[in-house]
Amino acid sequence: MALVRQILKQTVTYKLFKSILVNLIDFMEVMGHITTCTVEFFKSLFKGELDRKELITQCERFGISSLPITLSIVGMTCVIIVSQIAQEMVKQGGGNFVGALVAVLIVRELGVIMSGFAIISMIGSSMASELATMRVTEQIDALQTLKVNPFGYLFAPRVMAGMLMMPLVVIISSLFGILAGALTSDLAAGLSYRVYFDSIWIGIFAKDLFVCLAKAICFGGVIALISCTFGYYASGGAKGVGIATTRAVVWSFVAIVIIDMLFAIAFFF
Amino acid sequence: MSIEVKNLVKAFGEKKVIDDVSFKVNDGEILAIVGFSGSGKSTILKLISNLVEKDSGEIITSGGDIAFVFQYSALFDSLTVYDNIAFALHERKDLRKKYSEKEIREIVNEKLALVGLKGIENLYPAELSGGMQKRVSFARAIVTEPKVILYDEPTAGLDPIASTLIEDYILRLRNETGATSIVVTHQMSTIQRTADKVIMLYDGKIVFSGTPEELCRLDNEYTKQFVTASIDGPMKIIEK
Ligand SMILES: Nc1ncnc2c1ncn2[C@@H]1O[C@H](COP(=O)(O)OP(=O)(O)OP(=O)(O)O)[C@@H](O)[C@H]1O
Ligand SMILES: [Mg+2]
Repeated sequence: MALVRQILKQTVTYKLFKSILVNLIDFMEVMGHITTCTVEFFKSLFKGELDRKELITQCERFGISSLPITLSIVGMTCVIIVSQIAQEMVKQGGGNFVGALVAVLIVRELGVIMSGFAIISMIGSSMASELATMRVTEQIDALQTLKVNPFGYLFAPRVMAGMLMMPLVVIISSLFGILAGALTSDLAAGLSYRVYFDSIWIGIFAKDLFVCLAKAICFGGVIALISCTFGYYASGGAKGVGIATTRAVVWSFVAIVIIDMLFAIAFFF
Repeated sequence: MSIEVKNLVKAFGEKKVIDDVSFKVNDGEILAIVGFSGSGKSTILKLISNLVEKDSGEIITSGGDIAFVFQYSALFDSLTVYDNIAFALHERKDLRKKYSEKEIREIVNEKLALVGLKGIENLYPAELSGGMQKRVSFARAIVTEPKVILYDEPTAGLDPIASTLIEDYILRLRNETGATSIVVTHQMSTIQRTADKVIMLYDGKIVFSGTPEELCRLDNEYTKQFVTASIDGPMKIIEK
């Protein structure tokens, strides 16, 4: 019997099922953590435990220190798009629509998702490692013994900063991207600025702007919340901090793509 | 305020770290907990202060603040020494508006003087030595003058004079405010100078309970091994 079990344990099927099971349990656990943290976050808001001073610090960090990266990523994305399409479009007689195409792409999808990716890699990862370090060095325990709610002091300012600053980041980086597109279409296809800017409003409607901002608010909050959650539940020294950070980044990436998809289905299907 | 622990059990995974432990600390008493590394001393303190959830048993405290001096300081490393010590006064909901910044500064300076560290309030924890961090952590915990204080090795790693400072202050807090304390320590000086009662933990159980004098009497196999720091004895610390 023992031998049979041993042989069975070596089979690929067994290993596959085991790893699926382990991953499934792990998935449920993470979902549980995220749910708990979301509930505690809202509770701390309603109890008025949001720390104002921390909120300002976090807003600066989220909105201002991330700008160089978000601007360059969104800007370069536009340069790439325009250099790929501008010449061809002018050749085919569609030069009047280069600006419109860039604007639609940026406002509907790329501005917010590219900013999201930049924010995850810069701000999300640092939030996760910060809280994880606080956890493994018992600083979060210390907060609790000093009767300060970690959700009001750590979570609330970060998540609120995410929701407040992300729209701003998206607006600034999108404008920058559209400008970069104008410059590129002039250089690559000799398109005049005037033609480019005149066409911008052809494809964008109020609904697009509204959806874009709503997405930005969601992304900002979700990135901060997921990053803080993984940090909060970290354990086991320096290695634990590393694991928490990696997982926070991966989960945030997947989460914002899922949210983006849900928005697309809800508003543009 | 007294602390009573009844049949406390806590396991991490398969391993029972605290196995049916009961003791009582009366109002204003100082209890020392001794035991080898890994015997569950820190875990008991964390159970009492609710940082770790118990599996079964009872912990009865009559409410109020429970302060905690952490074994590895646990200072907030993004805040200065001043903000660390003033943390509860700045951030705690019920204390936030109670003191003016001037009053807070006075309190912080007083506590810093107490632990022998004047003039370092603008430094960050990373700029302090281990012993200094420990003393700042002590000052942070007692800033609200709590009625129950749990000390996790408050004097470990301190020089003899700094140890004496802390020991004196543990006693002074008790004498002045009637605070009830539990002190986890390995240091005989701390046990003898501060403790009213001592319990010794081994393998999750209490193997000795008595006064500091009784601890040194060497008529218990466990305490004898502990006090004489002997490798041979009922407690196996080297895994075979
Ligand atoms: N969060 C945890 N998860 C798993 N095991 C833990 C955890 N905390 C403590 N332990 C285990 O519980 C046991 C007791 O740990 P504890 O920190 O209470 O020991 P201690 O008596 O304070 O030791 P020391 O004198 O070295 O500080 C150890 O074996 C440790 O491995
Ligand atoms: Mg310990």
